[in-house]
Amino acid sequence: MKNERKRTFLLITIPILALFVCFNTIPLIRGVIYSFTNFKGFGSFDWVGLRNYMDLFTDSRVGGSYLFTFKLAIVTTIVVNIISLILALALNSKIRAKSFFRGAYFLPNILGALVVGYIFNYFFTYILPAFAKMVGLKSLEGSILSNPDTAWIGVMVVCAWQAIAMNTIIYISGLQTVPEDVYEAGALDGATGWKQFRHLTFPLIIPFFSINMVLCIKNFLMVFDQVMALTKGGPAQSTESISYLIYNNGMSGGQFGFQSANAVVFFIVIVAFSVAQMKISGRKEEQL
Amino acid sequence: MMQKRTSKPSMVLLILGLSTIIFPLYMTVVIAFKQPSEMTNSISGILSLPESWSLDNFREAMRVTDFWNSLRNSLLITVVTVVLSILLHSLMGYAVGRNKGKSKFYKFVYLFIVSGMFVPFAILMMPLAKQTAEMGIANWVGVILLYLVFYMPMNVLLYSGYLVNIPIALEEAARVDGASTWKTYWSIIFPIMKPMHATVAILTALAVWNDVMTPLVIMAGSGENTLPLAQLNFQSQFGTNYNLAFASYLLSLIPILIFYVICQKQILNGVVNGAVK
Amino acid sequence: MKGMGKGKCMWMLGCAAAVLSFAGCGNTAKDDVVEIEIVQYKPEAASYFEMVEEEFNKTHDNIHLTIESPNDATTILRTRFIREDYPDIIGIGGDINYSYYVDAGILADLSDYEGLENIKQAYLDIDEALEIVPTEGSYAVPYVANAAGILYNKDIFEEHGWKIPNTWDELLALCDEMEQEGVQPFYFGFKDTWTCLAPWNAMAVDLAPADTAKQVNRGETTFTEEYREVAEKYLELLNYGNNDPFAYNYNDACTAFARGEAAMYTIGSYAIPQILSVNPDMNIDSFVMPASSSTDGNTLNSGIDLQFCVAADCENKEAAYEVLDFLLADENIQKYIDAQIAIPCKEGDFELSSMLDGMLDYIDSGNMTDYQDHYYPSEMAVDAQIQAFLIKKDVDSFLKKFDTDWQRYNRDIIRQVQEYEEKYGNTQ
Repeated sequence: MKNERKRTFLLITIPILALFVCFNTIPLIRGVIYSFTNFKGFGSFDWVGLRNYMDLFTDSRVGGSYLFTFKLAIVTTIVVNIISLILALALNSKIRAKSFFRGAYFLPNILGALVVGYIFNYFFTYILPAFAKMVGLKSLEGSILSNPDTAWIGVMVVCAWQAIAMNTIIYISGLQTVPEDVYEAGALDGATGWKQFRHLTFPLIIPFFSINMVLCIKNFLMVFDQVMALTKGGPAQSTESISYLIYNNGMSGGQFGFQSANAVVFFIVIVAFSVAQMKISGRKEEQL
Repeated sequence: MMQKRTSKPSMVLLILGLSTIIFPLYMTVVIAFKQPSEMTNSISGILSLPESWSLDNFREAMRVTDFWNSLRNSLLITVVTVVLSILLHSLMGYAVGRNKGKSKFYKFVYLFIVSGMFVPFAILMMPLAKQTAEMGIANWVGVILLYLVFYMPMNVLLYSGYLVNIPIALEEAARVDGASTWKTYWSIIFPIMKPMHATVAILTALAVWNDVMTPLVIMAGSGENTLPLAQLNFQSQFGTNYNLAFASYLLSLIPILIFYVICQKQILNGVVNGAVK
Repeated sequence: MKGMGKGKCMWMLGCAAAVLSFAGCGNTAKDDVVEIEIVQYKPEAASYFEMVEEEFNKTHDNIHLTIESPNDATTILRTRFIREDYPDIIGIGGDINYSYYVDAGILADLSDYEGLENIKQAYLDIDEALEIVPTEGSYAVPYVANAAGILYNKDIFEEHGWKIPNTWDELLALCDEMEQEGVQPFYFGFKDTWTCLAPWNAMAVDLAPADTAKQVNRGETTFTEEYREVAEKYLELLNYGNNDPFAYNYNDACTAFARGEAAMYTIGSYAIPQILSVNPDMNIDSFVMPASSSTDGNTLNSGIDLQFCVAADCENKEAAYEVLDFLLADENIQKYIDAQIAIPCKEGDFELSSMLDGMLDYIDSGNMTDYQDHYYPSEMAVDAQIQAFLIKKDVDSFLKKFDTDWQRYNRDIIRQVQEYEEKYGNTQ
């Protein structure tokens, strides 16, 4: 009887595990192997040892893509979390048509990032400058996507527009776990408004805050669709995300080997980042 | 002391915020119906409604993107992936969830699979393009198999987490009646996990439906498109005619919008369920 | 673990494939019909190739031809090469990708193809020059060439009585005059980085040696030395363009030019069909970019726009040659150059579009030089570097970066060239 159970579990596990190994572990290993070659993606290739890895650290384009990606991830995470929290508080307060608002605010999240990017591309190129001209805002009369200093803001806005939806919903479910009597007790002590939020509400929704941070950082570090739709990495390579650079130069640019090395390093960075983040937020939760 | 009436600041904030969501969608609809001659650079021209609500743009967009074929491919890939995900990932979650506490092997398998969450697609992309071709599945079959692997970490995590709430006594009772583990699973455990099935289905479906990267790398050049892939190709080929382009964008958004309007409640619950677990 | 995983995996795949096999049957051709597949990289010529496909299949029972004209064909071809799934015939441009493919042994030697005899020697030479190290044999059949310079709106020119400029000073004087009369001289669509290369190439052929890249590879000169004048003149040109050129893409620029928003457009003949699609009645002509200060210093920037290669993997070379014969038939070439405003690479009596009139002298006399960017490795992204330069306007740092990046991205090529020359001596 016991053996039957064990055997069933093994029969379930092994084929599914094999599928996973086949399409995750093996390609991962192959990617690592390619990272030691100068393979273009076709033809013959030579082993170049650690050359690709050395080059990574001196390549200003790769450096630029890391800078852009992290800047985008950090700023967008902050923006998204602040706006989501405010929206969640508003959506959780006593309002009319609550479920309508909740539904509407989640809408951006279900739309495909690529198409949303295309729509915003038009918005930034034509509509926003037209508005700026009408109200006489000189600084916004050019498209923000055409300036290397501001193009990342365009990418950030589109990422945030979609991500806010998800984070708001998560914060709402966090706020719903806060029992009414906490507020009532707090109100007796004179805690209202910001004080109430800072000392009563926020500590109770810290776990949801952690979830949102992890979700945000991970998604934004891997940003691809928005870059593809909005800027294609430009202008002046100022918005090349790491994923976009790996795709663009690895697949169509003949840098299969080099970009594999880039991808390996990116993988290590993501793992390190995630582990650190979980440790930090884990500690925070304990403290509170 | 407690506010019983509507919170006015909240309402104002929410309505203002809503405009940032409605406005882009409004522009999409308006531009999709206009003719190129109606496009001007003045504000009133940009905001105005089209002169006539003709469906010509949509007809043309459907033709050049081969809309019905792309829609069919997208639907096929999404539905098959979701069904297989529910079947396979729940089984895996069950096997791992019931054993990882006492068996080192299953603990390892669990961590091994869940750690797959951190593997960026970028590193797998190029080897997978090669590998799927070597296996002769550089088509939608390959795309589905890849999705099954990509979403396995998340879904196994969800299922095995949910399983903690299901008492093992339920299974033992069935076993006393002589049912096999396999049978017990399908007759007792699988139905109980229904809420989690909904969550997995929604999360997987949304991710698959909107994904560009995987079909781009695996199916590029096969002559078959998914809806997002068709938009990508459309953009480079017919980029001059924004009206046509927006009609095409709108077409690609409509199926998921309809789905959302119908199952809004389930989607919201499912998403929260998945994220919070 | 790994081996077992793969075995099981195959088994699982088998199951999946069995269940889903209803979609898997595409190739059910009859045994006696040879399948030939062409992938060509010019989506704008898709309708021409649809016509070729139809005509060919109508007249040939033994061969079934399919032609694909995908967008972003380079990526698709690369992806297919990664998969080792080679189309029989590949239609690409004469650029560095061709060099790579020859070097990688992907392409078949076409020396035995008779149609090559009718191709103009100048274009065969361009292909020879593109090879990283000289090889025996020919690997491509040049089909059509394009020419880049300046397109102009004939009506606007006639209305103001302007003449075609022959030197750099004349060009600048003309631009000044245009601005005074309230006409926008140029419209740039630099959001698409590749469009930054069009004026660059057209000026570089006038001002730098044709084989600059090869000279640099041999260590004889630097880009800083050869390209300084090009870079400086490019910045002057930029002053006469639209505001915020980096906000608009190629399509936007073509549309703007077609609507008469600018008198001139620095682009290649390949843009004309796109422009005409917006404004079919437009009166366009072209002239050579006069970047040099003397008339004889100028040369027409012209390269192979489309050529056909046969994959080394192709099983039916003879059938592929039959397809090439069909493509190279005079009436088909004429149809192509009519539709795409191209220049044929084949000898013969072809009627060129009147929109190339301004360049005709150069074409007839053979005063043409290949695009410099056909030697730039695509992963170096020179187009994006030029875009960055146009935004920052710093000539020195741009050229310095050009030189250092060149050494890094071409390391393997430079080494290969050196090894070859050590073995066989300098053949240049």
